[in-house]
Amino acid sequence: MIPAQLVPTPDLLQVPWGWFQLLLSTTFLLHLLVMNIMLGWAIIAFCNHAFKQTIPAENQLISQKLPFTIAFTVNFGVAPLLFLQILYGHFIYTSSVLMAVFWLSVIAFLILAYSAAYIYNLQFTRLSGLHTLVSGIIALLLLIITFLFTNNMSLMVSPESWVRYFDHPQGMLLSFTDSTLLPRFLHSVFASVAVGGLSLGLYLDWQRRHGNQAASARIPSAMNWFVYATIGNFGVGTWYFGGLPAAIRTVTGVAGAFLLGFLLAGITAAILSLIYGRQHRVRHASWATLAAITCMTGVRELVRRQTLAPWFSTSDLEVAPQYSPMILFLLIFAAGLYLVWWMIKLVLPADKEVRS
Amino acid sequence: MNYPVWQLDAFGGGLLIAIIAIIHVYISHFAVGGGLFLVLTEMKGLREGSSEILAYTRRHTKFFLLLTMVLGGMTGVGIWFTIALLSPAATSSLIHIFVFAFAIEWVFFLAEIVSLLFYYYTFDRLSPRKHLILGWIYFGCAWASLFTINGIIDFMLTPGSWLTDNNFWSGFFNPTFWPALFFRTFMALMIAGLFGFMTSVNIKETTLRHKMVRYCGLWLLPPLVLLLGSALWYKTALPPALQEMIFNRAPEMKPFLALFIWLSPLITACGLAMAVLRPQGVRRPLAWLLLLLGFLYLGSFEFIREGGRRPYLIHDYMYSTSIKKTDLPQVQKTGLLASARWVKNRKITPENRMDAGKELFTLLCLPCHSAGGPLNDILPLARRFSPAGMRSFLATMGPANPYMPPFAGTEEEQAVLADYLTTGLVQGISDNKTHIRKETIAPIPFNEETAEYLLLASADKGMILSSEPEQSGIDFSFAPPTLRAQVILRGTAPSVLTEDIQVTYRIDTDNGPLIGNMIPSGTAFEANLAAIPTVSKDFRPYLLAKIEAVKDGNIITSTRLKIGISTEIGCRNCHGGPWRQQGRTGLSRETAAAILAIHDKRSKTQLSQEFARGQIVVCQSCHADSSRGAAGQSGLLNLSAAMHGFHAVYLYKDNNSCAFCHANSAEGATGKLEDLHGTLGLECTSCHGTLADHAISLLKEEQQAQKSGSSKLLILLADKGEVASAAIKGRKPWDMEPDCLTCHKGFQPPDTSTAFNSWNADKKDLFVHRHSEDGVLLCSSCHGTQHSLYPTDNPYSKEAGNLQPLQYQNNPYPLGTNRGCAVCHTVAMEDELHHPGSLGTFRARME
Repeated sequence: MIPAQLVPTPDLLQVPWGWFQLLLSTTFLLHLLVMNIMLGWAIIAFCNHAFKQTIPAENQLISQKLPFTIAFTVNFGVAPLLFLQILYGHFIYTSSVLMAVFWLSVIAFLILAYSAAYIYNLQFTRLSGLHTLVSGIIALLLLIITFLFTNNMSLMVSPESWVRYFDHPQGMLLSFTDSTLLPRFLHSVFASVAVGGLSLGLYLDWQRRHGNQAASARIPSAMNWFVYATIGNFGVGTWYFGGLPAAIRTVTGVAGAFLLGFLLAGITAAILSLIYGRQHRVRHASWATLAAITCMTGVRELVRRQTLAPWFSTSDLEVAPQYSPMILFLLIFAAGLYLVWWMIKLVLPADKEVRS
Repeated sequence: MNYPVWQLDAFGGGLLIAIIAIIHVYISHFAVGGGLFLVLTEMKGLREGSSEILAYTRRHTKFFLLLTMVLGGMTGVGIWFTIALLSPAATSSLIHIFVFAFAIEWVFFLAEIVSLLFYYYTFDRLSPRKHLILGWIYFGCAWASLFTINGIIDFMLTPGSWLTDNNFWSGFFNPTFWPALFFRTFMALMIAGLFGFMTSVNIKETTLRHKMVRYCGLWLLPPLVLLLGSALWYKTALPPALQEMIFNRAPEMKPFLALFIWLSPLITACGLAMAVLRPQGVRRPLAWLLLLLGFLYLGSFEFIREGGRRPYLIHDYMYSTSIKKTDLPQVQKTGLLASARWVKNRKITPENRMDAGKELFTLLCLPCHSAGGPLNDILPLARRFSPAGMRSFLATMGPANPYMPPFAGTEEEQAVLADYLTTGLVQGISDNKTHIRKETIAPIPFNEETAEYLLLASADKGMILSSEPEQSGIDFSFAPPTLRAQVILRGTAPSVLTEDIQVTYRIDTDNGPLIGNMIPSGTAFEANLAAIPTVSKDFRPYLLAKIEAVKDGNIITSTRLKIGISTEIGCRNCHGGPWRQQGRTGLSRETAAAILAIHDKRSKTQLSQEFARGQIVVCQSCHADSSRGAAGQSGLLNLSAAMHGFHAVYLYKDNNSCAFCHANSAEGATGKLEDLHGTLGLECTSCHGTLADHAISLLKEEQQAQKSGSSKLLILLADKGEVASAAIKGRKPWDMEPDCLTCHKGFQPPDTSTAFNSWNADKKDLFVHRHSEDGVLLCSSCHGTQHSLYPTDNPYSKEAGNLQPLQYQNNPYPLGTNRGCAVCHTVAMEDELHHPGSLGTFRARME
């Protein structure tokens, strides 16, 4: 069986692939940020319940906001998954079918995690001894979902492993043959804990700047999560990169230059964020982290392109041009963002208003 | 074809998508209508200055938020995941065609989440005006989501001009876009009322509870009326072919259509009851009941809409097998195994035949069928068919069974898949190996020197088919046989005697002998049997009769006659069930029940009930049968036209189609056509035409008589025959048959082997009634019975079909052949008195 024979024929695009790549990368970055906060908070909340004598105030905050992060992680995940299907649908549909049972179980785990998050939110004061259990369930479910996503992203770029379908057509395959699977998953988890801690730090910093001095004292704790997780991620990241095929690590030409550039810039930004984090300069650390994540998103995309290079390039995709739907989308997208901003402005002074 | 198939076994057949989709669709409609419910209820509270109504609104919002965001939002993503797993090719097409519509819907989804969270968390924290603005924004975005998704969903049912112009807007604003949008909007409002009942019945304060329950009733009933109006609009907006498919041709739709129709008044009644009945003990269960009825209401609509797309995923564009309509001809030419990506067996060999069949099954059947599951289970269907029956079914998918896509593959793949389905996937219904107990039958002795008389006997039909009504419970048997006999006084000028002579018959059966007198009729004696005699328990496809002529109390001559009767009716090939007798013949009650069930389903009859009560269902009581003198019901097809016309649509097109139902398979319990023509290699189709041509000839006559269903069947059969449909002459069954003289022009050796489409004009011209040119001898007296013409070659007995020629001539050939005139004339003759060529040498010699 020749793996190339298994790669399905892609469908036509309505606009050149670059538009979709731009939309994919942009919306994925948004998704990644919120997803990291969601998973990071869930892990931090569980660890606080499990290993600390008293429940930190951050956990109350996490309990209130965790359902929102799940809602927005899912929402921000829809767009990149949509654009991913446009560019790489023939890969991800295939890999999804190969691991169909696990892939569909993501929805069940998500519903359970979301429900548990609302229980954690609405029943926080009544849970008493069950905090550890509930937060642990949430964290575990979200970790499983992350692991399954990592699997699919790995499996979709591994057509050589697809032939296993013929022996296991029941949708029970995972990408365990990929040596980068574990470091890739752990890279996401460590990043999530780091961003989770950093976002808590940012919130406390915002509180501090609005006169809540008690928040100031809690910033170091939040930033510790960020710092130690980031340090750990250097190790995991190195493991991950080292596990990539030599052909990708040593790629030359324009692609190689971009890969190296993004990687070095990302590492530099991460080091900077670490330095700022150690100094508890939360906003600086946040900007540096945003830069690091942006660069690493670029690295991730380039690695995917290089991995798929023997089979496919997005520039191979044929176009039957129709621009009006995209123009309408961009207009509605802009209007939608403005509407969200307008609603935030409408709501922000809410505490000051009194219902008549 | 492009993607691997997730092999779900019992969980296939649409079970997953049905579960996820109906839950999501119900909640997502609530998410739209409920949004309006929230703001209008809040406005009501503000208008009436009722803090209780406002508090109720807040509680309902919490319920609304948890349900729509957790279960609604996640199952929405779940649908996307599920369709991509079950139909990746169609999902990819939809995503690529409507990527920006999906993206726009995502923006509305985002705004929905933000506005709903703000709306819930700012109760009492924002001014009423601002708070209501948030509510209106939520409802606007939710409805805009519905607007967007509605375009995509209905595109799948009615892609309209997109099929030709591939324009995004043509597909989005497709022919059913607007009626569907109104329909779904009213459905959403109605569902908002149903969920409103759920929370309002739990209001503790009695007056407010009554008030809010009635208020929720307003959300239910007026939208329901408007919904029914939009449903009618929706129906009329469907292309005529789809309307025909959904409302007339697809019996599978009937339960869902009925459910939708009956639930409308039921929901109305329950809604009114909610408004009138005040006890909590009634209202709370009623609220749950209404919620369930609403679920079924929407579910039945979605099943109808989904079913209406069959056999397509995207109507007229991509079949349910994920094969594009435009690709089908090429796949049929090159084969699916050679065209599909995810197959191991690209070529079929004897070694991989079953494995290749399984791959075909995976690609072609599993996209819609489960294997052992609650939905669309293929196992009972596969068990019903023999390999040949299944092959026929596969070959006729599409035109004959519009619910199924045309078979995407070669004829070889068709056969392989049929074999796999009926012998690999399930334990098939393959026949027992036919055991033939050969017998030697001694003809009655005849002394050429001393005998004064000859007794020549025949039956009017040589291949009588019996459905054994007493056993099977269903009667579509041929008419019972008529026995004929002629008594000839030998001499140089022989004569046929009809006076002062009695002729009797005796047929030995397992139930005892049937004895009777034969009555003079013209130059012969006749006996019309009252019923088809019962075949013997150790099956053989004939009974033997002894005919005796008596004069003055003395038997002056006697002979033996074979009466060909078979119970080998192949209904079970497609309708399932076992053979009734010895595992090789006879219509079983199980098969009969399956036949009647399908008849009831398709023709809206209630024959199964009669059958279950132990009554014998007599097909001729509705469908005319001139051979049995049954007038049938006016307007209905006669039995032959109905049987052949209907089944020809479903049966594989080849020369052996007749053997699906009739007893003429060489491997069957009866054996091949025993008569001379069968031995010479002629087949049923040589005289009757292929099944389709045969059916067309019968239907054309019925079309002339404006019989219901004839035109529709003729359209379906138009390209199935070998003769152009327009050239086929109509004929009345049993009265107009292929004429021997079509081939044997002037009684001479034939110069063609095709007698089809040349019918005798009148019943008296049938072979069975025809006489020699001198008007004295029946053709059958010398040549034997039709389909059993001398010399016969019956696998059970070499003698059975040739008893009279063996008796009188000691050879199996027609009487008087090879200048054997002396058998009657006692001397050689020089003139061809009976018909031209009668003094010729018989050409078809038997070994």
